[in-house]
Amino acid sequence: MKEFPVPVQTAEDPSVKKQSGNIFSNVFDELVRFAQSRSLFMLHYCTGCGAIELPPAMTSRFDMERLGIQPMVTPRQADILLITGYVSVKTLKRVILTYEQMNAPKYVIGICSCTVNGGMYWQSYATAKKLNDYMPVDLYIAGCMPRPEAVISGLRQLMEKIKIGEANSWQDYFKRYDYYLGNQQRLFGETWQTPTDIIGESKHYSLHTPETEGEHTRLLELHQRPLEPLEMRLGLSEKTEDR
Amino acid sequence: MEKPIHMEYLLNELANIKVRNERQRRMRLDVPSKELPAVLELLKGRAGFMHLSAISCVDWIDENQFELVYHLWSNQVSTLVSAHTRIERDPGVYLSVYDLYKPAAFWERDIHEMYGVFFEGSPDMEKFILTEWDGPPPMRKEFDSEAWVNDHFDWQNYRPDWLQEIEQEGGGIAILPDEQRFSRKAEE
Repeated sequence: MKEFPVPVQTAEDPSVKKQSGNIFSNVFDELVRFAQSRSLFMLHYCTGCGAIELPPAMTSRFDMERLGIQPMVTPRQADILLITGYVSVKTLKRVILTYEQMNAPKYVIGICSCTVNGGMYWQSYATAKKLNDYMPVDLYIAGCMPRPEAVISGLRQLMEKIKIGEANSWQDYFKRYDYYLGNQQRLFGETWQTPTDIIGESKHYSLHTPETEGEHTRLLELHQRPLEPLEMRLGLSEKTEDR
Repeated sequence: MEKPIHMEYLLNELANIKVRNERQRRMRLDVPSKELPAVLELLKGRAGFMHLSAISCVDWIDENQFELVYHLWSNQVSTLVSAHTRIERDPGVYLSVYDLYKPAAFWERDIHEMYGVFFEGSPDMEKFILTEWDGPPPMRKEFDSEAWVNDHFDWQNYRPDWLQEIEQEGGGIAILPDEQRFSRKAEE
């Protein structure tokens, strides 16, 4: 994979501001961030009851679209992953697959108490307790369930964070992939793997740190099976012909 | 509609059945496990109880028994009959009623997954909902859900730095989760 000659700069990094002598580069970054914060596509992964608060938030009553936030149908075109409610262990696998497919920069919002601490399912064997153990979460909106006003105010907060360049937690997934993978392996077993090459991507984004790789990624390499293309065949399959 | 009278005559044909009319249109039968299939056949064939609403299972761990409850509904007399039976917890094998009621396949598969009861003659005893679960059947009483949670998950940090400032001003969490968990209360 080709590496960028210039590392991706973040506003979080104090050395960045000193380096850039050109004032126009900052102006351009700000403009880009402003534009990003005003045009967000949202993939709402409706896992639980919190999803019921989204239709009023999106439609004419509270009208999310006036903020420039629209629902999107696929993860690869979305900026925000909105997780509304409890995440069961089976669902969590799909959520991680969805999250890894999204293009950076990507933001995760956990809605409802269940994503914060398990909520009323704190004792359940089937429900994940802390979403930010498995993927970096930008913002939690607590409540059981939060009203559309709370959802809107949370999204405005995220927009503000993007505008000032603080919504960088997606980089954390590449920087500390070993930690997140370790939590995933603890829950799903040693053979857990996703089709996305996170370590390769972290090099692509120049976000590869010593914490990206570790004992858990070595365990992954032991079990990782290379991806095989699906068999493509024209015509009817044998099963259909038998009928 | 009158309460079904003739059904009681019907049930009197079989011995060892305890009939209890809990309410109008609600009847509880306590049946020995050997006779339950015969009772269901009688109710379906001669009293018109065509609909098996559900089969539920109760784990009586102290008595070392599983209780299976067959809920039958009749559209003709609008009555719900619950046939209770007890089977031994070990080895936990019982007869399927799939030949009488086709929907029983789903209920039995579900009970097999959640309690580990095996139904002889049921068409499919594979995993149903917990397809990615390889632990013990989770609804059995000896399965300690909280211990499993402690093994596999971390709890949220309830004393983060930003909350301590609020706590000093008199705010914060009123009752900490540790203080309201049931199992820890029972230990005290």
